[in-house]
Amino acid sequence: MRRKILITGGSSGIGLALANRLSARHDVMVTGSRDRSKITEVFSPNLIYVQASQSDPKAAVKIIAEALLKAGWVKLDNVVLNAGTGFAVKNAIDDVERVRQTIDINSTATILLSRTLYPWLAKAEGTLTIVGSVAHKGQALFPVYAASKGALHGFVRALRSEWRGRVAVQILHPGPTKTDMHAKAGHDAGRLHSIFINPSSMAAMMEYAMSSKRSPLSLSFLKYYLGGSIMGKSL
Amino acid sequence: MRALVTGGSAGLGQALCARLLADGFHVTNLDRDLPDQASTAEYVRCDLSSRDAVDKALMTLTSSDGFDLVIFNAGISATGKFEEISTSSHARIIAVNAEAPISLCAGLMKAGKIDNGARVGFVSSLSHFTGYPGAASYAASKDALAVYAKAVRKVWQKQLGIKVTVVFPGPLKTDHAARHAPDGADAEKRMAPNDAAKLILRDIKRGKAHSMPGVAARIFAFLGQIAPKVMTFAMKKLIYSKLDKTVAD
Repeated sequence: MRRKILITGGSSGIGLALANRLSARHDVMVTGSRDRSKITEVFSPNLIYVQASQSDPKAAVKIIAEALLKAGWVKLDNVVLNAGTGFAVKNAIDDVERVRQTIDINSTATILLSRTLYPWLAKAEGTLTIVGSVAHKGQALFPVYAASKGALHGFVRALRSEWRGRVAVQILHPGPTKTDMHAKAGHDAGRLHSIFINPSSMAAMMEYAMSSKRSPLSLSFLKYYLGGSIMGKSL
Repeated sequence: MRALVTGGSAGLGQALCARLLADGFHVTNLDRDLPDQASTAEYVRCDLSSRDAVDKALMTLTSSDGFDLVIFNAGISATGKFEEISTSSHARIIAVNAEAPISLCAGLMKAGKIDNGARVGFVSSLSHFTGYPGAASYAASKDALAVYAKAVRKVWQKQLGIKVTVVFPGPLKTDHAARHAPDGADAEKRMAPNDAAKLILRDIKRGKAHSMPGVAARIFAFLGQIAPKVMTFAMKKLIYSKLDKTVAD
């Protein structure tokens, strides 16, 4: 079955890897904060791109809903709310503006999109996949990032229960991945960076996790070394 | 000794302020509304859903001496079916319950206004352990606080001697709980805010990582940890399936 799939934060990193992977077999719309012309990574020509920065959650929701209507998409089989940001800080003391930006992009926009996209998901009896982080239990290097992802963990726990039988809701907690997220966050992982999981392998693990509809799922080294990126059911 | 309590005009916050005043603290109450009862606490008006108001409050708070004890207690909720609650209500809950306390805390820390050796408490919710179908964005906001506190606790204790406590109260005998409980829920089973305040302050002063006021809260938290899915299912039966209206405040 050819699916209609929406992926946020799809202009780079894990989101783009997942979008490229799924675009061969499905109709995929991706959103990102960057202008399309600024995307220099491999970007499948099959993808529909929508520029919607989640720094303004209410505006992003409106732009995305309008893009769906304009494209004539009346249902969504899969929604992957993946957009996220984070900043490394010293002594676990954040800057107030960055607190707001991180919570807006990671938590508020994700919650508002879940609310707004419900009719599309319900129509397809689809799956809502929310991307958390292995840091969701607390991380002194990124306290607000951890908090924003912890919020999503509790959010999914409640919403999965509420929507049972209508829309499957799941949270995936990816481990460290070889994307530019760490550099953007102002954190140098040093030599550790070389053992991080490839975005394409992470995308494979995500696809299999989406098809399993299970939650919560941790997509980190253990799963990876047990063959999580080569064994699983495709969407 | 100087204390700051957010949401000190009613409910648990009011009880916390009263106890701190009795203990001889100079208390600052940061709230959107005037106190329900006359109090000698200093009142700073602030609507936590407004970033401008939070910025102004930070300017006021950082222009005086530092605090020895800070409790981020203010919170709002919205209960009902997730998709029937407006996006504005969901956004407000995250702003008031998660963004504002973390911004205030980070702003005070950056300005050095939480003194070395101070105590900081974040009022989260027992839903951190049980899940809360019928209040998904509220649950999200309270989990954000719990995780933030956990993330900063070790570093602040080591570097500055500041001890951070997360409070996980169950339903209390307050107007807030009454508004958001299903019809027919037994209010008598809820803990009185005064009793909860006493236990919470004891834990915060001792610098404990967690505070779970009352035996019932401990039992629920324990069950939620050993069988999270069963507990969320039970919460759905107990609360979500009985909610016949949407309440946002």
